[in-house]
Amino acid sequence: MSPQRASSAGVQPLTTVGHPTPRIDAVERVTGKARYTNDVQLPGMLFARVLRSPHPHARITSIDVSNAHALPGVKAIVTHENGQVVWGSGSVAGGQQYSDEIKKITTHRRYTFNNPVRFVGEPVAAVAATDRHTAEEALHLIRVTYEVLPFVLEPEAALAADAPKIWPEGNLAVNNRNEPQPQVQRRGNVEEGFKASDHVFDARYSTAFVHNAQMEPRSAVAQWDGDRLTIYTPTGGIANCRTDMARDLGIPQEKVRVVCQYMGGNFGNKNQNQDADLIAAVLAKAAGAPVKLELSRKEDYIGMHGRWPTVQHYKIGVSNDGTLKAIQLRGFSGMGPYRKNSGAIAGTELYQCPNVESIVTPVFTNKTVSGNYRGPEFPQGFFGIQSMMDDVAAALKMDPTAFILKNMTRKFRDDTPYTNYSLEECLLRGMEMVRWKERWRPAGTDNGRLRRGLGVSFMAFRSGVGRSNAVARVNAKGDYTIHVGVTDVGAGAKTTMGVIAAEALRVPLSKVQVVWGDTETCPYSVGESGSRTTIMTGYAVIEAAKALMVQIAEQGLPAGDRVLTASSNPNPTVQGAVRNAFGAHFCEVEVEADTGRVRVTRYVTVHDCGRIINPLTASSQIVGGATQGIGMALHEDLVYDRRSGVPLTPGYYGARVMTHQDAVAIENVFIETDDGYGPYGAKSMGESSKVPAPAAVSNAVFNAIGVRVKDLPITRDKVLAALGGRA
Amino acid sequence: MSPTISRRRFLEGTGAAVVATTIAGPSGAQGTADITGTPPHAPGARTTRISLTVNGTARQIEVEHRWTLAETLRDHLHLTGTKIGCDRGECGACTVLVDDTPMYACSQLAIWMDGRHITTVEGLSANGQLDPLQQAFIDHDAPQCGFCTSGQLMSAKALLAANPAPTIDEVRAAMTGNVCRCSNYAHYTEAVLAASRQTDRRRV
Amino acid sequence: MKAFTSVSPRSLPDAVTALSRARQQGQHAIIVGGGSDALALIKERLIAPDLVVRLTGIRQLDGIARDSNGLTIGGETTLAAMARHDELRRAYGVLAQAAESVATPQIRNAGTLAGNLAQRPWCWYYRNGFTCFKNGGNTCYSAAGENQFNAIFGGGPSFIVHPSDTAPALVALDATFRIVGPKGERTVPAAQFFTLPTVNPARENALEDDEVLTSIHVPAAKAGMRSLYHKVMDREAWTHAIVSAAAVLRMDGNVCRDARIVLGGVAPIPWRLTEVEKLLVGQTMNDALIDRAAAASTTGARPLRNNAYKVPLVQAVVGRALTDLRA
Repeated sequence: MSPQRASSAGVQPLTTVGHPTPRIDAVERVTGKARYTNDVQLPGMLFARVLRSPHPHARITSIDVSNAHALPGVKAIVTHENGQVVWGSGSVAGGQQYSDEIKKITTHRRYTFNNPVRFVGEPVAAVAATDRHTAEEALHLIRVTYEVLPFVLEPEAALAADAPKIWPEGNLAVNNRNEPQPQVQRRGNVEEGFKASDHVFDARYSTAFVHNAQMEPRSAVAQWDGDRLTIYTPTGGIANCRTDMARDLGIPQEKVRVVCQYMGGNFGNKNQNQDADLIAAVLAKAAGAPVKLELSRKEDYIGMHGRWPTVQHYKIGVSNDGTLKAIQLRGFSGMGPYRKNSGAIAGTELYQCPNVESIVTPVFTNKTVSGNYRGPEFPQGFFGIQSMMDDVAAALKMDPTAFILKNMTRKFRDDTPYTNYSLEECLLRGMEMVRWKERWRPAGTDNGRLRRGLGVSFMAFRSGVGRSNAVARVNAKGDYTIHVGVTDVGAGAKTTMGVIAAEALRVPLSKVQVVWGDTETCPYSVGESGSRTTIMTGYAVIEAAKALMVQIAEQGLPAGDRVLTASSNPNPTVQGAVRNAFGAHFCEVEVEADTGRVRVTRYVTVHDCGRIINPLTASSQIVGGATQGIGMALHEDLVYDRRSGVPLTPGYYGARVMTHQDAVAIENVFIETDDGYGPYGAKSMGESSKVPAPAAVSNAVFNAIGVRVKDLPITRDKVLAALGGRA
Repeated sequence: MSPTISRRRFLEGTGAAVVATTIAGPSGAQGTADITGTPPHAPGARTTRISLTVNGTARQIEVEHRWTLAETLRDHLHLTGTKIGCDRGECGACTVLVDDTPMYACSQLAIWMDGRHITTVEGLSANGQLDPLQQAFIDHDAPQCGFCTSGQLMSAKALLAANPAPTIDEVRAAMTGNVCRCSNYAHYTEAVLAASRQTDRRRV
Repeated sequence: MKAFTSVSPRSLPDAVTALSRARQQGQHAIIVGGGSDALALIKERLIAPDLVVRLTGIRQLDGIARDSNGLTIGGETTLAAMARHDELRRAYGVLAQAAESVATPQIRNAGTLAGNLAQRPWCWYYRNGFTCFKNGGNTCYSAAGENQFNAIFGGGPSFIVHPSDTAPALVALDATFRIVGPKGERTVPAAQFFTLPTVNPARENALEDDEVLTSIHVPAAKAGMRSLYHKVMDREAWTHAIVSAAAVLRMDGNVCRDARIVLGGVAPIPWRLTEVEKLLVGQTMNDALIDRAAAASTTGARPLRNNAYKVPLVQAVVGRALTDLRA
């Protein structure tokens, strides 16, 4: 095991919860038996591929599919002319769920096939054929003529008066009420705050487009049985996917079945339907046969969604003793041409400060569409503001931990108390582990070829409770079944639900079956996003279990073929407080001054994710999130050719995704707490481990070389340029 | 966000299916009989009959020359444990053993495999007995989403065959062609080291 | 993938015959070794061959043989076999290390020496299908594009960097390449095998379409010979060199008697530092000499907009290689 320790003084021990438990489906995962979407092969099934735009912005003036149709084996072709379906969740909601209300209000439509096309990789046509190669060959027989339009890639440039207009209304992204407005948060008066400050600093930071790059490339298998659609798809939200499919296709929800047995990674953007699902459904209908639509890795990178790139201008006012007086953020997020998600930039809420102004402008660009990726607005915002504050501390000749302890949030927005508060403990514990007081030296202390640096970052992250559903059943033999509408994206939700159920039912885990991943057999669940499954669906499992136990107490176990069933639909709330998860990350690096190589040599994390339901899978979440965050800090970038608007680095090779040899051991401590909410006090975890990591790495590199690399990723060329500029 | 089905409708509408599903096996497995089709050859495509041994069983198959080993295993031999993550030799999800040597099955044509011995993840466990590596992967929670796992196992298997007691750096070097986007690298390396210690003990 | 026919001849004459016949029939034939990169190019439709001639089944092209003049390495020897070969590791460290630095274990298990030497560039523009010199066009998009990984030496009209790790090692070892084609056999010194874009911007080497790179001969190691390969990547595995240095020195005590230093990742061919070599020969290796050599290693470099960082990087890598060899 990785060095893992837990500080569990704050919680009462439980019987099943809190013990390291291998996944209930672990054997399937290590024997190749786990069934992922692309493994599904139905008799007579056709294969489909998508033709995508080579231009960042162009009007399609004609599409000739006759040669493609003539190719033996081709069964159906759809384009914007014959297969135009609104892809509701692909745009407009600004981070909200695409509901019937929003559908009524919004005028902003994203279709499965759009004309004009607005980014390289936007679908233009799709072909279904008897086999994969014929489908692919047919794509190359489709003749498309484009009227090429001017394009713009960077958010600040897109707001210029003379920038090409991606939408008639302009490039400032509209919200779900069609209003082109930035996201504004204010408290106090920043101008007053700057006047009252002894020092005012300003700087600009930026972050890159980083793709989710889940291992499983997107695919979808659609099968019609009369007017009933079954769709196999990698979705983290079978219920939401079903709602979306029904709405987009204009059929009743009951006519749609969504199945996702196993899923090869999520990391965001999958708690709804995909355009691949819709295209597969349309093709299957047209061809009268089941269709499997497959995306290549490159298509998954350029055709789908990754973390929105940002530009962040900060202005910080501070007194001589390092007390924050004013924080101002002017942020810009590149959304691509559709506003699939919010484009927010988080971070100002991490500090107590009387005067705060955050104005974040999501902007349409002709890059690929941005969306949610593991802590949607957090890692990039935390990188920006915590790099800025680290720079401020350095300018004031303060130890950054002293600056953080002085200024970090104690109440949510200095106003509402947290349900529990462990941030200080997280920081102090981590400082102890890395021996901060002995190891930390002011930035740029080393002058030799090898320069060591130590960096710190911290996090407070939403962990709200909310509505979900579960069903619990028991038969005469005392075998329990839990039905939950989750799909296990990799975080271990199935096992977590089983463990919670066993605890609540007071039976061994072996007596509990978990049923998941199929809308035919599962109730609504919030879906796997926003680190909510354990908290919300886990809580619903407890409630269902309790209700079932009441029935058993009243009636005894059922006899014969009878089954007792209980369900729950709780919608708990937190009154007068805000529920957050807390944590701190510590990163030690070695930088080779002559080659610019950055090597992480030690990485320590301390997290309060409330009660730890399953320490085994929890540890994987921390290891994985921190490692992904290190990769975001040091490597990953979808580089665009600025002259043609073509992305140049899609894929694992191009984006320099972390490998075994890049990874380091992650030393983690959980500060276990129970604030009385959630299932046994569990809080959010999936995103917690990722969000502070880029800031910790950035601060460690700064500490090592004494110069800030302000633009992610911190690649060798930038390190060498920074060091060259200093010499 | 409101629940999309009421409790009553769920129970009424899906009761039969619910009962059927609860009969599924003893673990977390949900059985589905959804691998039943095999795609045809492309119309007019050039094919050749090849013989190869897969997981100890001799197989003959008429392959198109352009078929990769990965798609042949998955689509035509229904061995879907081998995954395709990038189809370009960049990720390692498709790693199989070709005559005991790990290779990317996406980067080999099936026709090149005539006469070769292929081992896939399905061939690791014999008679229902997990390979020590598989057990170690479970114990250390190495797979998260599991999509890279088959490839990680095959690289690890070849490593331990050649080097039964590797150092952590040797493990990382041997497995560096296997990307894990869940980034659970630390657990993978720990699992391989644990399996090597166990195998070592057993041998002694 | 567009349909093609794949053949695996059992002998070299059969391979050459297959290639020339295809050419006569107007077919586009390609040679593959391990096949990893060739398949990627076909899948991306950067090439669309009618015939794929696979050479790894030809036994006489696979293996490492010793004779009085040195070692002969068959073109179809895998990189993995080279990396673990005792004598290569001992006497020709630069080559074993270069082979071991390529990509990943899986690719080294399949990939061959000839394939590594003849691989196409990994320039972003070529790989993304831009109609550049390498893709049948008449421009180089990297010249004024996103060129952080492109050439600082020898560029123009194409600014690719040669992607092979074994290439600089073999130029540093003064190897000879044996080439067989329909007209017979020829041998070419390693340094002449690789050709600048000014010769033909569509190509990276002197191979004709129907010629096979059959083997590479490395001269016998002389007493006092030391060598190493130092590769800088932008992650710890599976990338091509941003900058690499293959250094072969013949030392007599502290005095350098002979030196060959060849860079990878900086030019369209393995880039030999002749001036640096001259500076070293006959001199006592000390810090001052190494500093001078490192400083001289970038004379004549012409960085593009985004790759000026390669200049200090080359100096660092050359300095590091010489320092390590002195030890």
